[in-house]
Amino acid sequence: MLVSEFTDHVAGWRIIATPAALDAAPWPAGSHVVRISPDDAFVIGATKPAVPADAHAIVTSEAGFSMAIVHDLAALAEQHIEWQLPAARPALAQGQIAGVPAKLVLHTDGTTQLLVASAARHELQERLS
Amino acid sequence: MSRVVYDGTPIEYHDGDTLAIAAVRSGQHPARGGTLCLAGDCGNCVAIVDGTPWVRTCQTPAHPGLVVRRHPNGSHPSPGGPEQHSQVTVRHRAAGHVVIGRGDSGAAAAAAASASGDDVLVLDAADGNEVVGVFDGPTVIVRTPHGVDQLHVHHITLATGAAEIHPVCPGNMLAGVYTPKAAAALQAAGVDLGRVATVGAELVAFHGQESVVAVETANGTITECDSVIVDLGSAPRDLLARMAPMVPVTVVGPAAAAHALPACPKEGVVCPCGKITVEDLDGVWRKGFNELELVKRASLTGVGTCQGGVCMPHLRAFVADRSGTTPEPFTARPAARQLTLGEAAAGFHIDTFRRTPLHAEHVALGATLDKFGGWFRPWHYGDPIAEYWAVREAVSLGDVSTLGKMIVSGPDVVEALERLYPNHVHDIKVGRARYVINLTERGHIMDDGMILRDADDRFTLTFTSGGASTAEMWVRDWVETWGLRVHVLDRTVSHGAINVTGPLAGELLRRAGVAEEDRPKFLQHRRLDVAGVPCHVMRLSFTGEASFELHHQIDRSAELWQALMHLGAPLGIKPHGLQALFGLRCEKGHIIVGQDTELDSSPRRVNMDWAVKLDKPAFVGREALLRTAKLPDERRLFGFRMEGPAPLEGSVIRVGGDVVGHVTSSWNSPLFGHAVLMGWQKRMPHADVVEIDGREAHVSEVPFYDPEGARARL
Repeated sequence: MLVSEFTDHVAGWRIIATPAALDAAPWPAGSHVVRISPDDAFVIGATKPAVPADAHAIVTSEAGFSMAIVHDLAALAEQHIEWQLPAARPALAQGQIAGVPAKLVLHTDGTTQLLVASAARHELQERLS
Repeated sequence: MSRVVYDGTPIEYHDGDTLAIAAVRSGQHPARGGTLCLAGDCGNCVAIVDGTPWVRTCQTPAHPGLVVRRHPNGSHPSPGGPEQHSQVTVRHRAAGHVVIGRGDSGAAAAAAASASGDDVLVLDAADGNEVVGVFDGPTVIVRTPHGVDQLHVHHITLATGAAEIHPVCPGNMLAGVYTPKAAAALQAAGVDLGRVATVGAELVAFHGQESVVAVETANGTITECDSVIVDLGSAPRDLLARMAPMVPVTVVGPAAAAHALPACPKEGVVCPCGKITVEDLDGVWRKGFNELELVKRASLTGVGTCQGGVCMPHLRAFVADRSGTTPEPFTARPAARQLTLGEAAAGFHIDTFRRTPLHAEHVALGATLDKFGGWFRPWHYGDPIAEYWAVREAVSLGDVSTLGKMIVSGPDVVEALERLYPNHVHDIKVGRARYVINLTERGHIMDDGMILRDADDRFTLTFTSGGASTAEMWVRDWVETWGLRVHVLDRTVSHGAINVTGPLAGELLRRAGVAEEDRPKFLQHRRLDVAGVPCHVMRLSFTGEASFELHHQIDRSAELWQALMHLGAPLGIKPHGLQALFGLRCEKGHIIVGQDTELDSSPRRVNMDWAVKLDKPAFVGREALLRTAKLPDERRLFGFRMEGPAPLEGSVIRVGGDVVGHVTSSWNSPLFGHAVLMGWQKRMPHADVVEIDGREAHVSEVPFYDPEGARARL
């Protein structure tokens, strides 16, 4: 098994705001922030984050992702990833894995989480099995 | 001594034999004739090995029990059976410097690269690593004993040596003809070649029926023999260097050396793969195909399994003789070797087909699921007509989670939407919604959906299921092009949506906790709890009946669906699939973008000018619409009705025997008792009566159903 079973949904919050507002945002204790793009943060955790300093920010709960733990990143990369993984950690790597758009969250402790849209998790799980 | 089975007969082989050598050892040609090089350069020894056709037997070690069959005489083998289509493992690997070939020049190149600090990987078919393709990237595709490797490399050195030239003359497809290296390999393996004659450029013809019995040379000498060794020199084995013109490949050793072309062939088979003769080449030359690439395309010389390995020198010599100019070798195309379907597909993924959050509910209800617009969607639940009537007369649920959904917010959001859409946006009040079409810069319809105003500076946008995947890109590209301050969040896969539709839809919502006075009116929307689930309730209609789209977070989808099905049971609730939905909307005359529209369908052509406000100063497609408005109206989408069974979508529409268009939507209406259709007439003035499937169809006003729209407002 290259990865664990996927969870149904990852509880979190999605925040779209100016990059500066996101950079300065105070994230809830215990949450993990996946910065999908400069103006897009996925805050994993149940606590609703404070609205950043952007009057037009979009802050909404997010259940659209499923997550798995990567057991063997090297093998996953060799068999299913055609792009180069970042060398440094922590890092977020985004691209197709086995042809499915997905995200790899590379933690400093060496662990790696795989995020995928819940709608595609069955397909990805099947392709990785 | 062990044996392999060759065309049903066990034959013995020696340790170290390839299948080709084993065949020759047993007195047979490994295929059906032709010069043997035993170097993998030609297709003269290919056979079906353990069910896989096109295997080069000269490159395949014999082992006990291998079953070999020759290809059918005069035709190509069928693809292997299902057992041959097993999944092939693919490995994506990075490599700094790949050296292809580990002969003298390859070893030297690898050593030099290593000395300069390169990360070097040496690949050689003799080790089981057969390079079959070089693509831009550069990416090198390697067939290995474990599957297929896709190597992403920085530099490629080709050291594949030179291939011995095969003879082209009368009788050159007989058995018993060998290149010098092939003969040496056979003799080294202890194979008795019988009486051997050795010839070179003086060769004129081989004589014999199936195997050679004599060889004729230019001075008229005919030498009886059992085998002929033909030494015509070599040609560069540089196929892989000609495969990806944008990829710099360093060619070294004999593969890079200049080699003399053989004399122009006068008679015989030039291309053994396709059995193409000199006479065939002359035929295409006389027809005006007077260039190497044209001769190749017209005669198919060089497109067989050896990819020009045998014929290239002779073909170049032929063109040089006829034109007076020696052409460069033609471009090579991957793959350099015949691949199995599994190998060719290794690492390739078809599009992802997503599951809605209600997938398990559909499966539990016995739905027939279909792949549609990138999603698994219920086509029907066993009785699409009953589903249709549930919508028309009671209440029904439809899974519309696949719709594109987006939140946009920002100080410039109204300006952005005014520029994006062809209708007015500024006057949409908070809590109201408006149907919109999306246009390309050319004024063609690319999608449709809704704009719903959530606040002064915030809107929800919806798109079709098919358009959802490009919607975010479309919005972002324009917003950034214009430099407007707008936040964009795609909610397509994060929000589920259930369409509650039918005359009893409001009653079902009441039972689910939504008081009548709280329900949004037609083209309104509100955020309400439905059966305890927070929903964005949108009052729209695609079916023609009262409809409430309940948009909600996908982790609550199953709970909401189950509650509605339970509460709706006394109301006769049934879920409906796409089959019923498409019929319902056809009766209502609602188009499906991409099905009823074409790539160049303007609003006018589909009778939707009303959705375009040319009094706006600017929107995507406006200039094109202004320009094309002056052009004659030469095609239109029409509604039709006809008796008898509904014709297939795609059926041609004729007027007076001429084809004038085709049917885009077709439905046997249970309500009307006749077929209702939509389709194109691409000739003006249009006809009121047309012929479809040999029957009359009459142009009809759309909507066919409830033209006043009263049902949707119930």
